[in-house]
This record gives sequence, structure tokens and C-alpha cells, in this order.
Amino acid sequence: MYRNQYDSEIVTFSPTGRIHQVEYAMEAVKQGGSGVALKSNKFAVVVSLKRSSSELGSYQKKLFVVDDHIGILISGLTADARVLCNYMRNESANYKYVYESDIRVERLVTKVADKSQVHTQRYGRRPYGVGLLVAGYDQLGAHIFQTCPSGNFYDYKAISIGSRSQSAKTYLEKNFEGFATCTLEQLILHGLRALRETIPNNDTGLNSKNVSIGVVGENYPFTLIEEEATLPYLNMLESDEPVEMQVN
Amino acid sequence: MSFNQDYISHPVFGQVDYFNKKNHQQPNQHTPYYSVHNHHQTDAGKQKTLDPIVTGSSVIAIKYNGGIVMGTDMLCSYGSLARFNSVQRQKQVGTHTVIGVSGELSDFQSLSNTLDDLTTDDFCIDDGSKLSSQEIWNYIARLFYNSRNKGNPLWNTVVVAGNQNGKSFLGKVDLVGTCYQDDFIATGYGAHIALPLLRKEYDDNPNGLSQDQAVKLIQDCLRVLFYRDARSSKRIQVSVVDSNGVKISDPIELDTYNWHSGEAAVRTFQQVALGK
Amino acid sequence: MTSVGSGYDLSVSTYSPDGKIFQVDYANKAVENSGTCIAIKTKDGVVVGVEKLIPSKMLCHGSNRRIHAVDLHIGVGISGFLADARQLVLRARAEAKSYKQIYGQPIPVKVLSQRVAALCHVYTLYGSVRAFGCSIIISGIDQEGPQLYQVEPSGSCIGYFGASMGKGKQAAKNELEKIKFNEMTTHEAIKEIAKIIYSVHDEVKDKDFQLELGWISTTETKGQFNMVPKDLQSDAESYAKNALEEANM
Repeated sequence: MYRNQYDSEIVTFSPTGRIHQVEYAMEAVKQGGSGVALKSNKFAVVVSLKRSSSELGSYQKKLFVVDDHIGILISGLTADARVLCNYMRNESANYKYVYESDIRVERLVTKVADKSQVHTQRYGRRPYGVGLLVAGYDQLGAHIFQTCPSGNFYDYKAISIGSRSQSAKTYLEKNFEGFATCTLEQLILHGLRALRETIPNNDTGLNSKNVSIGVVGENYPFTLIEEEATLPYLNMLESDEPVEMQVN
Repeated sequence: MSFNQDYISHPVFGQVDYFNKKNHQQPNQHTPYYSVHNHHQTDAGKQKTLDPIVTGSSVIAIKYNGGIVMGTDMLCSYGSLARFNSVQRQKQVGTHTVIGVSGELSDFQSLSNTLDDLTTDDFCIDDGSKLSSQEIWNYIARLFYNSRNKGNPLWNTVVVAGNQNGKSFLGKVDLVGTCYQDDFIATGYGAHIALPLLRKEYDDNPNGLSQDQAVKLIQDCLRVLFYRDARSSKRIQVSVVDSNGVKISDPIELDTYNWHSGEAAVRTFQQVALGK
Repeated sequence: MTSVGSGYDLSVSTYSPDGKIFQVDYANKAVENSGTCIAIKTKDGVVVGVEKLIPSKMLCHGSNRRIHAVDLHIGVGISGFLADARQLVLRARAEAKSYKQIYGQPIPVKVLSQRVAALCHVYTLYGSVRAFGCSIIISGIDQEGPQLYQVEPSGSCIGYFGASMGKGKQAAKNELEKIKFNEMTTHEAIKEIAKIIYSVHDEVKDKDFQLELGWISTTETKGQFNMVPKDLQSDAESYAKNALEEANM
């Protein structure tokens, strides 16, 4: 039934010092739809590939606005994500009430991570089955953070999560060093190209229905680009040369 | 948001709440959240500060070109008794903010500890961002407003002066949480006596004051207050905050009328009051 | 007897027949899988260094810090699960704050260490929780002078002149034992720690790492816990690299 006797409880260490239940929760993140986040000096961009459960169903939203200066992309259990999103909105609003200024992105992400960690240490709880890509801009600059069910978080220049995110990661690893000086448009296109790598060959590809883009930056509140608004970028992507995978 | 969320109680006897169980208890749904006449309420019957006991008098501050000068005397009165005559009523918060406080001394001390905790938090997080003067001002405003809504106000008027990226910030918060920013501020008796003097000097210098002018003005105001306000003293401190940070002076004894010389007989009010 | 398969190693509230609590041992394993952390107590202060492993080159430099300040005069270094350790750091900060509120003076390093250790310990008492998968080194200066304590998942809290934990624990310990702690300054300790971290780093198994250094000194940092400034750090790193090359020749 179980893979081994150490993987059924959140409160059990394996003899090698691992916690299998947490690692399984991390798997839930990999099952979710894919997303890419990347940043330049002035902008942070998230792009997501939405899924629909059936022809008749709508596409599942993956980007959420937390505050004017923060947005998140989710991958994994959407219901868990909504809990975290709510929490982030609350913390952000509270901070604004007390200090009348924007909460630093890293401090908010740290709070989310600390909240997640509690769920990895007590019986009767399960870790959140969701990973977030947090895009934000504050006085310290543009930020991309990834949070995990384990309570870890990472401060990235560019990253992808979700199913088949490895191929997007490969694209990003080849190109991320040039992102810092990119214009917003170039940054979005890099994001879309990375996202395109996660789509299986037999699929329809990126279109205005299944792509959402979120942008935040200097004097640029977090903005969603969806539906028709994505078309200009998708068209630019169409006219890409097919050899865009070349190094730099 | 609770302002003391990180407080841990270590009982002399009994168990520390290691698993944070108290925070997980749901509030009883059947009791109203707040009711004045509800005797089950934990706050009911608790003694609150409804009168200040040991008080400091006015705080005066004005912007000049490049910074802010703030002045206070050093007296803390017990009722009308001049009880403590060398108390610093100004406090540096972080690197570029100074606050001056009127009113209850013990509430000021408590506020000082709270603000020190805030700057320690910034120090510990160490991400390169520190609370700005405006954030500190707003925090105090929320703290005061929340306390007074619980019927337990911190009995102070606080003047926050600071400098952020070369720009001066000057704001005030009172015990009910009212807050505003201005180019010159006076609290307590100073709001009656010193404010007109500040206003006049400010209007007479449309291009702004120099630091020396501002320091002189503040000292003049404190001297007038010493003559007119029975809860003030001539032992003062003057602080300057600009882009270089905060400098709070050592105690200064104001040069005032010498009661032994009979000088008043030959000097006008203007001469005595403004030290001319 | 071996632990695996015995059934005595599934819960932290279970003893094995020979009196062991295997779950705590396993938590220690999580620490041993992590980057090395060492600290040296000198006559004027304490220096702590961590070998921070970098899993991806797309990570921002300096992120996921493993050295944190807890109060003005105390800092900690971390080995093991970072997420678990952050809970300890939060707790330590709250303890420091609470102590200052009650007693009006900074918390002594020993008191803080024991309170954090007490928290670790209660997480080894109940089957409904798991132990912390991390060890921390607490360093600071108080009335008694420089202090250095190590807190482990079991809840033990021990003072040291030089402490090490994580992957290179044993190798680092062998190096530390050669040091004359009472004759060393913090400046020398920074170099020494850099040298040890560079020498215990396993380039084959772990590709990339960043050396993180924190220090506190009565003279150099005026009794505040700070990260080591860039120029001192790069001096120490080049000294470490040279020493390593000489040893390899």
C-alpha cells in the first residue's frame, strides 16, 4: 500500500532525515498547470498556462492580485492557494493600515512560508498542496519568489513551476542573464517562450484563452493581461524564428 | 492587527504555552465582542489611565531649509509640582527620526520601548529597508487610535520629525489618534503660546529659515513658554534632524530674566520675552 | 539493534528496547545532510560561518540566508531544514523581546539558548509533533562576555569555544581542535572559518556554495551582531582559496 513505512505521517522522519509527506505535497505542485516568472531591474512578470477541465468548462484562473504591488501565480491545489492568497491580501492590507505603506515583498513571502511550515510539523495537518510564484515591486526593487509546501521559499531571477516546468527552466537558464536590462515587452516575450516549452507537441499551443500575463513594476501597479489583450504578444511570438532556443 | 503579537508569557509556576494553543482557541460565538455593560468581558473593571499623573509640557518643532529643529524643556511635573527637572522628552528612533513627547511620562516610556522593538525588528530582518519617519508616525497614530478605542489611551501628544532621502517630514499625533503633517508644530501650552510666534517667523521668511534662525526661534519660543507656562522649565534640549541623521543637544539652560537685578523695570515685554 | 523496520522508529514518543528515540536521531540526519555551519569564540567576540549550498544558478545572490540576527547582541547560524529553523529564529526573537520587556535589559545568551532548547525539547515529547529538523548555533555577547551555544533537535543546549554541525561536522571539528581560542581575534577567526568551510566543501557532491559570515565583537562591531562586511569577507575567501591551493600542491 505505502511505498515505505515512513511516508504516511507528516510527523515522521525517514531514517535518512527526510519527511516524505512534505515531499509528496511538493509533487502536488508539479501536477498543476505550468507558470513562469521572471524579472528585469524594473519589472516582474508572471505568465501562466491555464487549463480547462472540459470543453464546456471555463479555464481555471491562476493569477491573483494580492495588492497594487504584489500578484501571485499558483500551481497545485487551487483551494489551498485561495487560503494563502486570502492570507496575503489580509497581511498586506493590515500592513498598509498600520504603516500606510506597501509591505516589503520578501517580508510577506516569509510570513506565508512560516505559515506553511507549521503545517509540516503537527499531526492531523497536511501541508498546503500549492506552490506560489510571487511577483512584486517595492522600495528594494522587483522581486520573484517561489514558495513551497515545505515552508521554504526562494528568491529567483527567473523560475518556472508546474507540469513539465523543467523545459521552461532550461530555456530560462539559457537566457536569464540577459533579463536584467530587458524592456517590459522583451520580458513578456521571454516568459511566453519559456511557457511554450511546457506544452506537449500535440497540443493547440498558446492562445488568448489559455494564457494570462501579470505585470508589476516601477510606477506600474500589478496588472493582468488576459484574453484579447494577450494577442499582440502572442502574435509577436508567432513571428519568432523557430530557432529561439539558441544560447543567448 | 495586535501590536504585541510576539509577547510570550513565562509564568513563574506552570507551563509555557509552547504549541501556541491559546491563539487557536476560537472566541465564544455567543458572547458579544464588545459591550460596556458586559461583566464577563476581561477588560471590565480594569483600572485605566484616565488622568495623566507625571506630565511633560510643550514640544515645538519647525522645518528649516534642509531639516527640522525640535525643542522641549526637561521638566516632568507631578500635578502642579515641578517634580523631575532633568527628563529627556525627545527620543531618536532609527537613524533619521526623532520624536518629542508631551503628556504622561510613563506612557512615553512605554511608547519608547515599543518603538525600540520596531527598530530591532528592522535590524534583525536586515533586508536593507528601515521604517521611514512617515511610517513611524502612522504607526503611532494607529497605536494611539486603537488604544483610545479600547477606552485606554496613551496620554501623549507626539511630534515626529525626520528626514527621508533628503526630504523633511514633520507630523503630530495626539492621544485620540488625530494626526496631521505641517511645516511647524507645537503641542500643549505651546499650541497657544508658541504657534503664533512660529507662524509669524515662518511667514516672514518665504524662502525658508536657516538652521541657526530655526534654533534661535525654537529657543525663543521655549523662553516665552518658560515665562507663561507654569508647567515648564528653562532647562531645554534642542534636536536637529537632517539628511545626516539626528542630533539631540545636551541640556541647555535658557538665558532668562535675572530676577535679582530689577531689570524688568527698564525693559519692555518684547525685550524680556524674546531675549532681545 | 537496527532501527529500520523495527517499528520503534516511527514516532518521537516511542522508545526502542535499548532506550533510544530514533525519530530524534533521524532529525539529526536532516542536519547532517545540510551545509556545514561552524562558529569560533574568541577573546573579543564570536564569528559564525555557513556553507550555504546553492541549488540553482537563477537564485538571487544572498537569498535564503542561514545566519540571522535575533536581537541587537545575538545571532544564530543554521544547519538543517531552513523552514524549521526560521520558526526557532522567530521564537528566539520573541523570547528576546519578551525578556527585554519584563526585565528591561538584553536577554543573556545562555537564557535565550536554553529557552530555544526548551522549545526543541517539547517537540520530542509528543507523538503529535515531529522534532525540529535543524540545529542552530547561537552566538552573542552579554555581561559574561562572548558566548557560543549549540542547540540540537533533541533539545540539548551546550556551550562551546568552537562548534560545528552539518555535513562537514567531523572534518571541521578536527580543524577546530587545533585552534588556541584564547589567543585569537575575531579578524583571525573570520579567516580561519573561511578556510575550514572551503576545505570541508565537497565539490563533487555539491556544486555551488556561498560562504555566509556573521560576527559580533566588543571592539569591531560595538557589541552588535552583524554580517561580516564585504571587504573582510573577500579577504577571508581569497585567504581560504590560497590555503586550499597550497594544501593541494
